[in-house]
Amino acid sequence: MIKKSLTAATALAAFAAGPALADFPERPIQVIVPYSAGGSTDLSMRLLADSIERNFDGVTVVVRNQPGGGGGIGTSAALHARPDGYTVGAGAQGPLALLPHLGGTDYTIDDADFIGVISRSLQVLVACKDAPFSDYDAFIEYAASEKPQIGNSGAGGANHISAEAFAAAAGIAVESVPYNGSADARTACVGGHIDAMVASPAEALEQSKAGNMTPLFIMEDERIDLFPDTPTAVEKGVDFTWSSWKSWIAPKGISEEELAWLREAVKVAASDEEFVQKMTDMGEFVVYEDADTFQSRASGDSKMAHDAIDALGMLGMNN
Amino acid sequence: METLSYLSQLLNPAILGAIALGTFGGLIIGALPGLTATMGVALLIPLTFGMTPVMGINMLIGIYIGGIYGGCVSSILLRTPGTPASAATVLDGYPMAQKGEAGRALGMATVGSAVGGLVAAVILATLAPQLAAIALEFGAPEYFALALFGLTIIASLSGDILKGAISGMLGVLIACVGADPISGVLRYTFGISGFASGFAFTPALIGLFALSEVFTQMEKLATGEIVSKKITGRWPSWQDLRDSRGALVRGSLIGSFIGIVPGTGSGTASWIAYNEVRRSSKTPEKFGTGYAPGIAATESANNAVCAAALIPLLALGIPGDVVTAVLMGGLMIQGLAPGPLMFQSNPDVIVGIFGGTFIATIFMFIFGMALIPLFSRILMIPRHILSVSIVLFCFIGSFAINLNPVDLYTMVGFGVLGWGMQKFGFSQAALCIALILGPMMEANLRRGLLQAHDNLFEFASGPITQLFLLLTVLSLAWPMIAKRLARRRSATTQENEDQ
Repeated sequence: MIKKSLTAATALAAFAAGPALADFPERPIQVIVPYSAGGSTDLSMRLLADSIERNFDGVTVVVRNQPGGGGGIGTSAALHARPDGYTVGAGAQGPLALLPHLGGTDYTIDDADFIGVISRSLQVLVACKDAPFSDYDAFIEYAASEKPQIGNSGAGGANHISAEAFAAAAGIAVESVPYNGSADARTACVGGHIDAMVASPAEALEQSKAGNMTPLFIMEDERIDLFPDTPTAVEKGVDFTWSSWKSWIAPKGISEEELAWLREAVKVAASDEEFVQKMTDMGEFVVYEDADTFQSRASGDSKMAHDAIDALGMLGMNN
Repeated sequence: METLSYLSQLLNPAILGAIALGTFGGLIIGALPGLTATMGVALLIPLTFGMTPVMGINMLIGIYIGGIYGGCVSSILLRTPGTPASAATVLDGYPMAQKGEAGRALGMATVGSAVGGLVAAVILATLAPQLAAIALEFGAPEYFALALFGLTIIASLSGDILKGAISGMLGVLIACVGADPISGVLRYTFGISGFASGFAFTPALIGLFALSEVFTQMEKLATGEIVSKKITGRWPSWQDLRDSRGALVRGSLIGSFIGIVPGTGSGTASWIAYNEVRRSSKTPEKFGTGYAPGIAATESANNAVCAAALIPLLALGIPGDVVTAVLMGGLMIQGLAPGPLMFQSNPDVIVGIFGGTFIATIFMFIFGMALIPLFSRILMIPRHILSVSIVLFCFIGSFAINLNPVDLYTMVGFGVLGWGMQKFGFSQAALCIALILGPMMEANLRRGLLQAHDNLFEFASGPITQLFLLLTVLSLAWPMIAKRLARRRSATTQENEDQ
């Protein structure tokens, strides 16, 4: 009895203290993750859900996994959901900015409304165990005579396209070897079955300490703290940066007020101290970006991916 | 000395409680079709946020071990593999349960799982860094040869070689649906985006084994052929255990080996173990009729994979299967990076995980044994009610796994296919094996040829590749060789008698 009235009191307090739109959300918000439970996107979304629930009393966020089709199935479900603000999607670079160019999806990036970016996943090109090169210059030199074999987590996926886009920008030729997911590619890399791969700083750091991977360059504008000695492609004279991101997207047609609430919720949750700590431990680079910045980043990536995919002859191959 | 202090942290009642809770929860999750160990671990990771690393990770390992074991319950009782790891347990577990000896089958599975788990845990604790090196030897050609060797199981598992081959080929073809593993082009999806990843595996299995069996039972109900049997037998007999000694040893070792090789997993291990045990048995004809060593082989193998898959994860930072990939995420959230350096940087966590694996296996054994009488009672439910409930579970389980409505079509389609196959004597097991190994074989053949620039000799140049290719040839030729040997032996005895 006491407990019940306490809950009611808390709910009332939250109602009174909340912003003008106190009646939203009145039921759980569902976020569709287009990958299996347990992957880095899924875990990030669970941490974000946790953070929103911690920062907004009485709000529940439910993570729903709809994997398959390289993230296309879940992303499609999110973008075609009823635009009432109670269903949003985990926006990932692959299914949003890349997949529509390959064809076979029933959406494009223009079908999405943008809520906010919570983190960016930086990318490092690493030399694998026993590779015939161990720094950027040696890599480029090797590539002049022989095509290095670069592993990726799946044909047409983000790190396939980024490796090919770099090769095009640097004027070298590489041979992409697709694996079934990044874990498989990493295994092949540590075992020395490929020459190089695109890795996240977190996985590269541990393995490079153990001597199984050697970072070649960072796909950022500037060097990063984790690898102060590793150059960027930009400082080596190749105009190339690439990072993927984790975000919230929504179907078009949600009312302005509800959209504003969702954007504010992501903003607050993404700066929560515990959230930042856990994300950083997981190797994510937490950086909040608002809807406009997100939109221009996503469109830019989509444009860049379009050109890279076109150059590979994969444009619209699944249409 | 230090090791002892690291181990003693496990005696903390909170940690023991977390492991027990995880194992019990895993058992239930595994027993429910459509809820797999992977999902169980993934969904409960947020619960471990507030725990210490040793406590959180050991709870997840408990779910993993309990979940892989729990899959056998519905395999044996309902012919519904609770997880893909237990599909091979259907072969002998279900017939034994149908003879009214569900308790005996479950008991054998529990003993098998515990033995497999403990053997692999010992290997994990003693030889992890040394054995982890094996994981790195496997490149594309090696995986291809392993998958090819695995596919030879089809020849020996199906009584009728021609029908077995047809089932196997059908499985390989079905596995082609979805995105091409090398180019990413969608194949045979007919524009339905839900099939972009191919037929989902668990719904296909549920349809193939469980729904098809419901159809068969309904047929029998309609013609009044069903006689309900009393449930007898609650424990495996000493005779069963004696018969299964070899099966337990082989299953545990095969499971441990397959577990160490990344990207293979418990489904592959249980089929290969079943086949090896059957091949080396003096009475191979008893397999498939409800024979205890058949259950012992598959269950010891799939639980051995659990602990063995932790070996490359902890020693190298590369996950051995899907569940350990999820576990790796859990470790990273705790601020621990699995990899070669973890043995130096966090020995307390490593030793804690070794100890936790033992404890979880023991809890699994205790809970499993205690629940057998309760589980066996499920079969006392009248057949027509049970069948309806199974159909319900088939649908819920198939949908729960990916929340993809297309998976329901997959499940029903495979149900009809399985029913037809059963009726006309085609092996469902052969189809299932091909579904597991077909994609692995195709992707690695093409990846390997891509890397070797289509040079077959370079592709097949590694010693491990050659070993598995040789084993493939031997295993296909074995029936002929065995026949010839037997003839020669009988000829010599004949001669001896003549003299």
